[in-house]
Amino acid sequence: MPEAESRDVVLEAGRFGRLAVIRLKPNEDLVSGVEAAAAEVGIVCGVVRSAVGSLVDAALGYGSGETAGVTSVEGPGVEILTLSGELRPDEAGHPRAFLQGTISDSDARVYGGVFLRDANPICITLELVVQEWLPDAAEEVG
Amino acid sequence: MRNLTQPGPASLPRRICRPAREAGSFRIQLAPGEDLSNGLVAALTARGIADAAVELLSGTFEVMSYLTGQPDDSGQRVATYGAPTRLDGPVRLIGGNAMLGRDAAGRPLLHCHAVVVDRAGGVHGGHLPPGVCRLGPGGAVAIVVALAGAGFRVAADAETNFDIFQPAELA
Repeated sequence: MPEAESRDVVLEAGRFGRLAVIRLKPNEDLVSGVEAAAAEVGIVCGVVRSAVGSLVDAALGYGSGETAGVTSVEGPGVEILTLSGELRPDEAGHPRAFLQGTISDSDARVYGGVFLRDANPICITLELVVQEWLPDAAEEVG
Repeated sequence: MRNLTQPGPASLPRRICRPAREAGSFRIQLAPGEDLSNGLVAALTARGIADAAVELLSGTFEVMSYLTGQPDDSGQRVATYGAPTRLDGPVRLIGGNAMLGRDAAGRPLLHCHAVVVDRAGGVHGGHLPPGVCRLGPGGAVAIVVALAGAGFRVAADAETNFDIFQPAELA
């Protein structure tokens, strides 16, 4: 999820729209690949409905600011166990992906965090279904 | 970012994207004693749903097995599955994702990965094959969006040397 820029709660009414059925092939970067695939089908705002796949190696972020860290996991064959997150438009109107989840390594150890850009290459495949989120005007609450 | 050389030639495009439409949303509660994958497939196909994206929300297992990936030393592929890890219950399902599509013969196929907690609090996860994950008390709950217009079909993939789900347009 994008970092909130204000302390206000934002309630965004909206509805789900179109879906996209996507495969990323080996060595595609997870985060930028999801963004490019969404852009290809014209989705700039959306949510991950399901994702199954594997990574060559993985880099997961945790914490923030001075406590920010990265968990690096060496593969190949890192399994993506869960993947959730959303796409939101950047200032230029292009989809930006914010993805987090859990993975397992070849010794069956499990790790979690935020999937970092240009650091999570697809190993065999990523199967992904994204659904468009069509927001109405956002309201600030409280 | 490390890239690996696959056994077959890289095919273009590197991303396959097919637009689809929602054909309904469903909450499924599976019963204790059912197999997770087989139960999901049976519940969806009974409703005429052959293509869907599945989010696993919760559940328990009496017994389950999972597979994790590892390098393939044979050189035929860059990675393969290792030996299954069996967990005896109570095991709690804390999340997972699955795709329902069809195999090369047109039969329903569910590809499922999940994360679970064992009886000692240890966290595990991997690929959950059909037929080896028997649900415990409370069964399991999933949220499903059914797909129309596009879905996943198994096809031989020369690049990776696996038969895997590929996005396909549906009639």
